[in-house]
Amino acid sequence: MKVHNFSKLFLLDKIIYCCYLNIQVFDEQGKDVTPRPLYRPEPNASLHKQSKILSTQDFSGATGSDFLSSLSTHQTSGINASLVGPFSRTYGSSSISKSTISTTESMADEIVEPGSRRDTAISLSGKENIREQLTKEDIDRRVDIYLTETETIWLLDMPTVMVSVESEDAEKLQERNKIYIELCKNKAGNDCFVERMMQTLNGAPKNKEMQCDKILMEDKGMMATSWDLYDSFNALETTLTSSITERSSRPTSVSSSKSNVTKDRERTTSTTSTDRESIASSSIIDLESVILARIHEEEEDHSEAILKSEKFQQDLFFMERVLMENVFQPKLAAYRQLPVLIAQEEILPPSLERLWSYTCEWSDGHNVSSMAWNKLNPDLLAVGYGQFGFKEQKKGLACCWSLKNPMWPERIYQCDHGVTALDFSLANPNLLAVGMYNGTVAVYNVQTHNTTAVLDSSESFDKHIGPVWQVKWIEQDRGTTGDDKGEILISVSADGRITKWLIRKGLGCTDLMKLKRTASERKKLTGEKKSEALISRQAPGMCFDFHPRDTNIYLAGTEEGHIHKCSCSYNEQFLETYRAHKGPVYKIAWNPFSTDMFLSCSADWSIILWRQDSVRPILTFSSTTNVVHDIMWSPKSAFVFAAVNEGQVEIWDLSVSTLDPLIVTFPNPGVKFTTVLFARNTDCILIGDSNGTVSVYELRNMIASDSNKV
Amino acid sequence: AEVEETLKRIQAHKGVIGTIVVNAEGIPIRTTLDNSTTVQYAGLLHQLTMKARSTVRDIDPQNDLTFLRIRSKKHEIMVAPDKEYLLIVIQNPCE
Repeated sequence: MKVHNFSKLFLLDKIIYCCYLNIQVFDEQGKDVTPRPLYRPEPNASLHKQSKILSTQDFSGATGSDFLSSLSTHQTSGINASLVGPFSRTYGSSSISKSTISTTESMADEIVEPGSRRDTAISLSGKENIREQLTKEDIDRRVDIYLTETETIWLLDMPTVMVSVESEDAEKLQERNKIYIELCKNKAGNDCFVERMMQTLNGAPKNKEMQCDKILMEDKGMMATSWDLYDSFNALETTLTSSITERSSRPTSVSSSKSNVTKDRERTTSTTSTDRESIASSSIIDLESVILARIHEEEEDHSEAILKSEKFQQDLFFMERVLMENVFQPKLAAYRQLPVLIAQEEILPPSLERLWSYTCEWSDGHNVSSMAWNKLNPDLLAVGYGQFGFKEQKKGLACCWSLKNPMWPERIYQCDHGVTALDFSLANPNLLAVGMYNGTVAVYNVQTHNTTAVLDSSESFDKHIGPVWQVKWIEQDRGTTGDDKGEILISVSADGRITKWLIRKGLGCTDLMKLKRTASERKKLTGEKKSEALISRQAPGMCFDFHPRDTNIYLAGTEEGHIHKCSCSYNEQFLETYRAHKGPVYKIAWNPFSTDMFLSCSADWSIILWRQDSVRPILTFSSTTNVVHDIMWSPKSAFVFAAVNEGQVEIWDLSVSTLDPLIVTFPNPGVKFTTVLFARNTDCILIGDSNGTVSVYELRNMIASDSNKV
Repeated sequence: AEVEETLKRIQAHKGVIGTIVVNAEGIPIRTTLDNSTTVQYAGLLHQLTMKARSTVRDIDPQNDLTFLRIRSKKHEIMVAPDKEYLLIVIQNPCE
């Protein structure tokens, strides 16, 4: 008996039969040359099964073995299953006898198949032409295939019998066993036993060829990456399964539609592997057209949504910063004082090198009046824009610039009046205090994008009447009131008052000191009468600075040129008065290292270095005939300070020379310098000018010096 | 809106050759380049972004790609990917 070994099994939902048997072929002469089928089943071949499953069974010999029940592949539309006919024929090859048919039938019974159908006997002439159209849903319908193992079929079973030793038959059995063993032993050379061989006649084999349609194979591939698994796992767990599956089904439907499209186009049985990520270049256009056709409306909504989404804004924000970084990279590196690879051989004289400038269209035309660093983030700079003179007043501006974007400020606060003073708070680094030309003090919160002030003093009772020339946040020990070290805002203004602002349901203030006009004697003022006389008796304050170690002592400079040393605990009297300037004192600065010394600059073209205990100045620096607007000690060295007057920037180094500045830099023509600020974490200074530009210069080749006392 | 402003500023920035915003299907929403170039950039960068993201996430599935920068001889391509869109900026950093 022949053994046919077909190891593929095809499962069809509905059978597509091609109409074999009603075809008739005629040659030129009209003779009927219809090929006749090779196999004619015997008429009483009962129930030759044309089942849906073309079961090709693997059976070997007579012993029962387990069958491969089903190995099935899901049929898709492109495959024509005209396989039923030929298989059924080879099934019954010439050597199959009736008995085997019946046995195979019974064996086939044990294959579980969903919805199987048995067709009735085949007749030669009129084979049933059963053709069912595969409907689309049928193809896509999921078919469950069950694989089961058939029971072992025993053909001969002779189990051993065990008999107890003590039974009656035991002796007989033992005898018989003994005889048998003897027999086996004697068999070898015994005359009673003769070996003889026999030959069985084999039938003549015959080869038979057949043809079948090409077996269509299809591969399907998926890539399961570890993040894919992670995603799917998480998707099951979260409650947002609906939205996620919706989104994931869209790409899968897209990919399946694409695969359909490509199949229809190509019509070959090439393997198509649907890899989620690789898009065949030929089908990009197909994909796009398919998508456009199907999901057109959804897209329009989506594109708008994308542009408005927050994530997009954030990405734009980062992108801008990245662009800036690309443009400004060498300058920023210099700012951060990253080591330069090329070693410099010569010793160059100290110089200022311009790195970049903070400017934007908003700030053009405004005068930079003040600058302040953020206490927490040393890369964040606040710049106030406002005119100094009375006649030039226009709307002011306060901007926060970040190092990461030198072309556009992070925050822009527009103020009705020119901004004349700025300071960042230390305790709450997101608070920015702004003083304006009309006397208003406002506090902004820079964390939010809100452009209105958090607090505003325009409605408080004791607000300033004159321009606020300086604001500062000071940490103070308020041991007397029982509070811990707190921070208060102090401002000085042209109405002659130094006031302390408290943030309690809006800005409330108390006066720390009233600057009185003094001649040689001091007069006492009583009360807090707000009358005309008070104003004329008060000297407009221009600036102040608190002692770096002892926050009770501070210096105040006035428009008359006097510098008063005052204490927070006495608000009636000055502790000391330093008279030497002949014009308004614009700025006072304590030396951060040797805290006995302070510096003051004034409109009388001079900068004076004082010592705390002496009423006479120690040193006077006058190098130009220009009003000195601003001075600042360097945070790194006790000897270095920077001074800005209208025509130039001077860096003085007292250890080198007390007569001449170390470095002098000139601005662009037509522009005057107005403010200067040292950078804390690097050797750079920032210079603001009257055109709204803040330029960053790097101090190069300065001789490093320790912070010693003078 | 602020988005428009920022986008305009980026487009007008010195050295920026082009800006493209594509959605998840590869359709450009905003672009300053011509159509064929845009489609080419979008398609190629989409594939590269997917590969880069796959790489990052294969190593640690909780990680994700936030920004991709490709520096070439002539210019630099910066891609900010997201599930819904791709923001591509091509810049010629002036030396």
